Amino acid sequence: MNRAAILWRVASILVAAGLIAAWQLAANLRLVSPVFLPGPDRAWAALMRGFSNGDLAGKLIGTLEHMAYGWLAASIAGIALGALIGSSKMMRAYVAPSLEFLRPLPVSAIIPVAIAMLGLTRGMALFVIAFGAIWPIMLATIHGFAAVEPRLYEVARSLQMSRAAIIGKIALPSALPDILAGMRLSLTVALILSVVCEILAGLDGLGQWVLLSARAFRSADLFAGVILLGATGYLTSIAMSLVEQRLLAWQTAAR
Amino acid sequence: MTLDRARPLLLPLALTLAFELWARLTHLQSDSLAPPSAILAALAAALADLSIPIATRDTLFAAFTGLAIGSAIGLSLGIAFGISRPLDRLMEVTVEAIRPIPSIALLPIALIALGFGYRMEIVIVAFACVWPMLILTRSAVRSIEPRLMEMSRALRLSAPQRIAKIVIPAALPRIFVAFRLSAGIALIVAVTVEIAINPIGLGAGIMLAQQALRADLMLAYLLWIGVIGYALNILLIAAQRRLFGRAALAGGNP
Amino acid sequence: MSVVAMLDEARAARRQKTLIAFNAATLRLGGKTIIENLDLEVRPGEFLCIVGASGCGKTTALRLAAGLHRPTSGAVTFDGEPITEPRREVAIVFQDYGKALLPWRTAAGNISLALEASRVPARERGARIEALLRKVGLPGHADKYPSEMSGGMQQRLQIARCLAQEPTTLLMDEPFGALDAMTRQGLQDEVLSLTHASQTTVIFVTHDLDEAIYLGDRVVGDLPRPRDQLATREHPEFLRLRRQLFDFIKATEH
Repeated sequence: MNRAAILWRVASILVAAGLIAAWQLAANLRLVSPVFLPGPDRAWAALMRGFSNGDLAGKLIGTLEHMAYGWLAASIAGIALGALIGSSKMMRAYVAPSLEFLRPLPVSAIIPVAIAMLGLTRGMALFVIAFGAIWPIMLATIHGFAAVEPRLYEVARSLQMSRAAIIGKIALPSALPDILAGMRLSLTVALILSVVCEILAGLDGLGQWVLLSARAFRSADLFAGVILLGATGYLTSIAMSLVEQRLLAWQTAAR
Repeated sequence: MTLDRARPLLLPLALTLAFELWARLTHLQSDSLAPPSAILAALAAALADLSIPIATRDTLFAAFTGLAIGSAIGLSLGIAFGISRPLDRLMEVTVEAIRPIPSIALLPIALIALGFGYRMEIVIVAFACVWPMLILTRSAVRSIEPRLMEMSRALRLSAPQRIAKIVIPAALPRIFVAFRLSAGIALIVAVTVEIAINPIGLGAGIMLAQQALRADLMLAYLLWIGVIGYALNILLIAAQRRLFGRAALAGGNP
Repeated sequence: MSVVAMLDEARAARRQKTLIAFNAATLRLGGKTIIENLDLEVRPGEFLCIVGASGCGKTTALRLAAGLHRPTSGAVTFDGEPITEPRREVAIVFQDYGKALLPWRTAAGNISLALEASRVPARERGARIEALLRKVGLPGHADKYPSEMSGGMQQRLQIARCLAQEPTTLLMDEPFGALDAMTRQGLQDEVLSLTHASQTTVIFVTHDLDEAIYLGDRVVGDLPRPRDQLATREHPEFLRLRRQLFDFIKATEH
């Protein structure tokens, strides 16, 4: 980063700090009841307390586990199905319209069906998370496979490459940018559905933490949990971006 | 060709028929599955006794109100950040810190502040809608032909005039695409809040049906939610085509 | 008989055989007749230039020889056998080099693709890639991505990849059409030297009259070798043939 960029970044941090200070002021002056709005000092204290005395770490791990299992299952299934559908024109013609119909559907509506089938269990949560997370990945994979440069298929035919080689060396790398973008979207979906399922089924996780804090009107704990959820979303997204940059180094080479 | 038109429907129809046959043959008794004929019957009944229409009204009311508030805020901030680079850079850290918070995480806060009901749901929907509108409006404003902005300065337009006469009309097609996206998000978030905790609307309806072990009614709600989501999307695409013509559709995702 | 005389005789005998033959080949695609009753014989080791106005089907004729299409009627044969699908001994160089290279692989990786398809063992690949890069004038560029290379370099990389197939026949589809004049002339000479040494059969499609006469065996025949960009193009025989060919093409244009 050059000097100007660093200065702007510092200024931006100062602005954020200023807003936090304003928040603190509002809390001190009791502009809003402390039952609803704890000051940043109390939220921070609750965060620290949660990790040292309370079970916040365990809850965080719980949510991360739910996200991870669901997202990984969704990635494997989504890429496999997407590759299958996307690489066949016939399949695309028959299946893609139905998928387009299902795209705007609120995926959380599957939760009651899952509860009916699997009860208020961890299995239900993993099913829901995987089901929700599969859509962005599968749709992105289909799009990536459908958009492979046709000239490359001709090159492959000219070289007499096997079908497996064509999928592995031409179609998959070509679709990779789309697939990775879909996987990043799925992370967000996985996080949201984890929280919802934890709230509904009382599973061990941040969703349960914030719900119990709300019920007991422990607003500082509640805010600590919300901050932690935001941090989780942010950090997983950053991690995914780093992976993308690594795998797609050839794209940055062009710039 | 009629076959081409019918093709998208072949797979769903075949699956539905197969499911119906299987359910009938096995005399299906289940808490989670019901034959399509029973689902449609339950849907018809719930429409007739107005339970679904009322629930739809509630969900859509919360979703649209939240959408209106959230997109208004997102639009204003997006225009402001798009026009003023310094402002955008100053607010960068704040925006990047708040954006990743999943809207659902605010549910308990809204719950203790506002209790159950419309207001809590509207607040959460609004929060969710701010971000796509903000990000996409900002990039729409930034990608306005620089020539137009230079011209507005040459004409010595005031800031409000510039925004009203140049910025908004030029960015409008992409802003509408952002709005379409946010509308989809609004519906999804509204239904999710209702499923999680709020006892109103379609989300509550489907949860109650499940708790009453009425698989047919539950799946009827599921089908109806899908129909509403689809219809909303189709309406907005039609509106977009009407207002901006086919050229604008090239920019956004269908 | 001396060795040289025997070799000359063998070479002359080879010249009489036909490598690739079009026999009343016709191709219809999507309701349009693109090629009708094409009769053409290509001899081994020959550098044949096919030249003509745009859209007269010359690219399609090439693709038939490449095995990318099958004739609707008539036959296209390689060494007497009908061409049903692409074969490794026939390599095709496309005009849109950007689309024919893998953007996610380096130059070495792109050449390696052909070696992998030919099942060359991994330990041999490195040396072969280096040799090929040197042959096409790209030594030391092994780790560059296509997007980091100029148009001329990318086309040379594609040629290198085709040469990695160790083809007996090279099909080139207006390979230098998208390049500037200086680069084009350099590459013309490079292709001549590459293919003359290995006696590769070349079918070269172009709309550029000068290029066709400069490069081709068949189109010209009597111009002195080695070619020289300035001297040859000013040769009176060159100009006479050029005029003749020009009139011929003009007459066949519809």
